[in-house]
Amino acid sequence: MKPALYAGLLLGLVPAQATLLRYVEVVGVRPDLCLVAACLAGFLAGELEGLLIGLALGVVQGLFSAGDLWLNVLTKGGVGLLAGLAGRHVTNPTSVSLLAVLAGLSALSGMVVLFAIRSGGGLAAFLLAMRSVLAPEVVLNAAVGTGMYWLIARRVRRQEAIPRGPAGLVG
Amino acid sequence: MFRTTSGTRRAALFLFVLLLSVVFLLPKQSRGLLQNMGRPIAQLVSFPLEAFSALDRSLRDFWGGYVALHRVAEENRRLHREVEQLRGRNVDLQEMVTASQRLAGLLELKKRVGPRTVAAQVVGRDATNWYRSVVLDKGERDGIRVEMGVMTPDGVVGRVVRTTPFSSVVLLIIDPNNAVTGLIQRTREEGIVEGTVQGRARLKYIPLLSTVRTGDVVVTSGLTGGFPRGVAIGTVTRIDKVEGDLFQSAEIAPEVDFLKYEEVLVITDPRPSGESQKEPALPADSSKGPKP
Repeated sequence: MKPALYAGLLLGLVPAQATLLRYVEVVGVRPDLCLVAACLAGFLAGELEGLLIGLALGVVQGLFSAGDLWLNVLTKGGVGLLAGLAGRHVTNPTSVSLLAVLAGLSALSGMVVLFAIRSGGGLAAFLLAMRSVLAPEVVLNAAVGTGMYWLIARRVRRQEAIPRGPAGLVG
Repeated sequence: MFRTTSGTRRAALFLFVLLLSVVFLLPKQSRGLLQNMGRPIAQLVSFPLEAFSALDRSLRDFWGGYVALHRVAEENRRLHREVEQLRGRNVDLQEMVTASQRLAGLLELKKRVGPRTVAAQVVGRDATNWYRSVVLDKGERDGIRVEMGVMTPDGVVGRVVRTTPFSSVVLLIIDPNNAVTGLIQRTREEGIVEGTVQGRARLKYIPLLSTVRTGDVVVTSGLTGGFPRGVAIGTVTRIDKVEGDLFQSAEIAPEVDFLKYEEVLVITDPRPSGESQKEPALPADSSKGPKP
């Protein structure tokens, strides 16, 4: 189930991001689904899976973006890894804790990208990019990620609530 | 939910640090390696990209040709059912006329520029929010290479910055990371056209004594980049002179509407038709093509 899910994410997330997501863009900014997926994978499945999923999604996203490939790979991989490390210290993961982690990591990743690509543009251009791209993206990522987490948690809770027989089958 | 052990944490940290070291110690080699590793993945992803792009076009057609029309039809249905049907057909026909006009313009431009262009369709936007770029449905297999210029009948769109066998990424001229040499058509003075954070373009390094004024047309100079001389870039809308600066700059409104175009031409050889035909053939052992 998990490998199929990850393969689906790898093949479908970036095309969806490049084509269909413009219908949900706010002030010209779309949520970064790859970052959200890497963060969720890290937060829920641990740092290694978060890192690997982040790296793989970063490669695919980088191939369909004008930016430097490595920058995408490292930021997405880093987000997966850090989300895994953050998830380890949360005893009771909730939507609110994920919201905080996602917002923090989105902001951090955005700052790294901004420093890398706008370092020569002056402070005014930097601040403008922060206000017009980084801030809306952080909000959108946090909202989308929390919504997805809420859906996953609900599904898991529902599955756990189903009584099972001794052989592990639904009784 | 699915917690991992501390061993995997060490492995993850080690892998990340290793990758960071490789990137910083061998930047060029690692970039090439990653690009080559990504090629088969890009080929795989190009299929869902095509599918999503087709879905995107259908959604646009549905919205433009049905949902928007449906509202009008609801009003009309009460009055004339027949008018609704005619209007539906009219929209289809108008869409066909617009598409054929667009394609005729593209064909006309292709004839004018010469045969060294490849027509491509825009299938997506940049996969991140940080760049203003578009994804085309043609790639290395169609002869598209990095640094080639991209245009529409209206003017310059941008230049190719990344290619895979089936797709390519074009950095738009309004992106701050892009730069093309431009020429003020009236005064013949050259400068560099760069994108701005606000999504416009700016002609920089105009001599202080230049008589540039608003309304002047800026075209490509043809000296560098993948463009022939004289392709429209935009019109000067504002001139900025800062006291003490050695040059002045001008804000440009691009000729191309970056929200509307769907088909573009990739210039595979910017030289005029005669020049490239006169050029002697490459020696048999020169397997590598000319640098873009």
